[in-house]
Amino acid sequence: MNKSANSRRPAFLGLLILILVIAGAFLFSTFQQNNQPPKTVKGFVGGEKINFLENEEVKKILREKYRLKIDINKAGSLDMIRASHENVDFLFPSNQTALELYLNTIGPTYKDDIIFNTPIVLYSHKLVADALVQSGLAESVDGVYQVKMQALVDKMAADATWADVNLPQLFGPLTVDTTDPAKSNSGNMFSGLVANMLNGGQVVTEKNTAAILPDLLHIFSKLGYMETSSSDLFNQFLKTGVGAKPLVAGYENQLLEFSKLNPEAWQKVKDDIVILYPQPTVWSTHILIALDAAGEELMIALKDDRIQQIAWDQHGFRTGVYTAKAAAETFDVPGVSADITQIIQMPNQKAMEQIISAFQ
Amino acid sequence: MKKPFSLNNRKKGHAAIFLVLTFFFFTIFGCKTQSNQQNLSGDRVFEFGGAKTSLKIVSGSENRILEPILETFSKEKKINLAIDYQGSLDIMRLLEQETVPYDAVWPASSLWISVGDTRHRVKHLSSTSITPVVFGIRESLAKELNFIDRDVKVRDILDAIEAGKLKFTMTSATQSNSGASAYIGFLYALMDNPDVITAEALDDPQLKEDIRKLLNGIERSSGSSDWLKDLFLQGDYDAMVNYEALIISANQILEKEGRETLHVIYPIDGLTIADSPLGFISSNNQPDRNESEQEKAFLELQNYLLSDKVQASIQQTGRRTGYGTLANADKKIFRKEWGIDTDRILSTINMPKSDVLLKALNAYQNEFKKPGYNIYCLDFSGSMASGGSKQLLEALTQVMEEKNAAVNFLQASQDEVNEFIIFSESIRSTYKATGPVELEALLPKIQAERATGGTAIYLTVAEALDKLNTIDRMVYSPSIILMTDGENNGQLEFRDFEKKYQASGSDIPVFPILFGSANEDEMDQLASLTRSRVFDGRKDLVNAFKTVRGYN
Repeated sequence: MNKSANSRRPAFLGLLILILVIAGAFLFSTFQQNNQPPKTVKGFVGGEKINFLENEEVKKILREKYRLKIDINKAGSLDMIRASHENVDFLFPSNQTALELYLNTIGPTYKDDIIFNTPIVLYSHKLVADALVQSGLAESVDGVYQVKMQALVDKMAADATWADVNLPQLFGPLTVDTTDPAKSNSGNMFSGLVANMLNGGQVVTEKNTAAILPDLLHIFSKLGYMETSSSDLFNQFLKTGVGAKPLVAGYENQLLEFSKLNPEAWQKVKDDIVILYPQPTVWSTHILIALDAAGEELMIALKDDRIQQIAWDQHGFRTGVYTAKAAAETFDVPGVSADITQIIQMPNQKAMEQIISAFQ
Repeated sequence: MKKPFSLNNRKKGHAAIFLVLTFFFFTIFGCKTQSNQQNLSGDRVFEFGGAKTSLKIVSGSENRILEPILETFSKEKKINLAIDYQGSLDIMRLLEQETVPYDAVWPASSLWISVGDTRHRVKHLSSTSITPVVFGIRESLAKELNFIDRDVKVRDILDAIEAGKLKFTMTSATQSNSGASAYIGFLYALMDNPDVITAEALDDPQLKEDIRKLLNGIERSSGSSDWLKDLFLQGDYDAMVNYEALIISANQILEKEGRETLHVIYPIDGLTIADSPLGFISSNNQPDRNESEQEKAFLELQNYLLSDKVQASIQQTGRRTGYGTLANADKKIFRKEWGIDTDRILSTINMPKSDVLLKALNAYQNEFKKPGYNIYCLDFSGSMASGGSKQLLEALTQVMEEKNAAVNFLQASQDEVNEFIIFSESIRSTYKATGPVELEALLPKIQAERATGGTAIYLTVAEALDKLNTIDRMVYSPSIILMTDGENNGQLEFRDFEKKYQASGSDIPVFPILFGSANEDEMDQLASLTRSRVFDGRKDLVNAFKTVRGYN
């Protein structure tokens, strides 16, 4: 008994050492891996995604799970396609047109994927939203305001004033304030949507741009000076009151994000600020264009379940995780549409190019 | 005897050690301390942070009233602040430059940031309060004009001006946001309220005639909204175009002094809002700047100003805070009997596109505003010889050469008259120019003047006053600019001039520009006598000349 026990001891010890060595090696390699500095991926990003990409939890997941650190430069969606791509791993524009421009001018992408979407919406105040409903330009369906886009554009093209839509308190022409279509994506997309309406609700192509351009320029000329940044316009909308900016175009995620990042301020304006969903609207599609393998690593990482959850929960970008029920539960924002169903495609890239140069 | 001597020796030893230590200290730290101090110059400096972060801010003059709030911030958060006040249009020009010597920008309206920030460097832009640009009209006159308790259109105001029933004061449209905003409002009304102002519409001869008539109603102008309020309080004027907040603050003083207050009129078809945006300037090309450190300090300041407590204090200065509505406004500040209406929706006009806006501003400067009749009294006494006259000529080049002046919208119009009186112990020579071409041609003549002799300030200024008392005030807007570097030693003294000025009953401003060892107290008295202000050219004479030019 004793002998056999003695003879088994060295074998047992050997096994133990072996296990320890393997475990040590494993721990060491993991430790080493974790200690490697994360890879820096460089890219251009539209300004509306900066808050999301600077979210501490997103940065932590990228760093710890994917060993990535991002170095971003703010740029307009079309500008970033035309910019020099030296030492750049990815582009993160806010619309499909940018991808089309890439495909038409540079060629096939290394890889590309849609990370999330947000629809173009209108922001206004209760007073204006209700007047639009009364005058038949909008309706409230289950607490969600919907704007009849065709009717609204027809009115603006026909030089209606605020007084014509039951708002004699407001001075001047009926307008939707936007950012400069030649300089900023949200204004650019809204101009595409208006162009489609001027084309009888059909998607504009380069073949019929000429027919709609005079009316399109006329509608936008009434705005006079236009802001170049979507966030500046949104901030002015919140601060200057119903008389200065009665109706503005923006991204749905702007208000959803604001309600999360500034909960106290949101409580003060919540009862007055209204989201109106244009019927139809256009999607602002946030596509990551990977220019190399490092860019692709980021593309894959941004599709991480938790990151996608944060993009929706905290920044209001519609990802695969939102469900019809989720909108109302996730945000303390009345009238968020459960689904965005009435969508029209943006005019194609060549038509948009013509529209933008007409605005310049 | 010995003891004190040895003590003295020991003292000397200590002094030597002290000197050596001081020398080391300054060698090691001296440069840094010095450069920090240099960084912290400004029209107003709050230095409670020790060596910690300092923020340099360029701001519109209307924010002067918030200085106590900024001081408290600096004390509480240990962050130094240095503030320079400039007109909104100067701030616009500044942002266009590659190098901007400021960390933050705080003009009256975000319009000027949008137009100027072509390099997209301004971040974290957020409105700190809003206030509309309004007409404040003497209560009894407003009643007489039937402007109370009804909607007033810009056209109604124009009619009163044309009928000679109303004269007003307003800042220069090419120097200050309140003046520019009101001017654009006037253009809309005169064009019969089009959807938006176009470039072609500005060339319409009828419009040109109408706007000239309207701007002729301006009694006195200024380069800054805050100073316009001061001018108004010093004088006896009918009305002023200014921010609602500054009319409130003027009324508080008028009431205290037992004088008639102003009634606020919101022109329904020409209203604009100043949104007082505060933004951080990234990549300002300042060497040795720790941008992330500065950005952190900036955000501390911005969050402080936007906190509920501070927003409430800002509201106490007559500004509208919160989100577009003025819920529970303090009725003791926003007083109904002054015409202040916090329930009214402030429905605004659209500002034109930037190319049209710039064309409109140039037209104001070149064609529309009442032409100036300016007499420059220039001190060429002996003390100016050592470099002083060189600096003076450099400054004159900036305002007299058309292409330089036009950069800052300071070019002379065709009808503007500029006279130059060169003086020492007596008047040596006088030059006169009408329009920009003649003005520029005078430069070499002034250049040829030599600095020598004494300083007869009041003799010269009296001569200028006599001349201006004979011009037609309906045609010209007069002003005297006095640049001097020393004490008056002429026969005529300040008291003599004071008597003469009061006897003439004229309202002609004499703007003193301080230089060299000018007598600051006396120049202050001269400014207060003539309801003008002193410009300090001792640090930057070029800038002083540019600024004074914006006041006439």
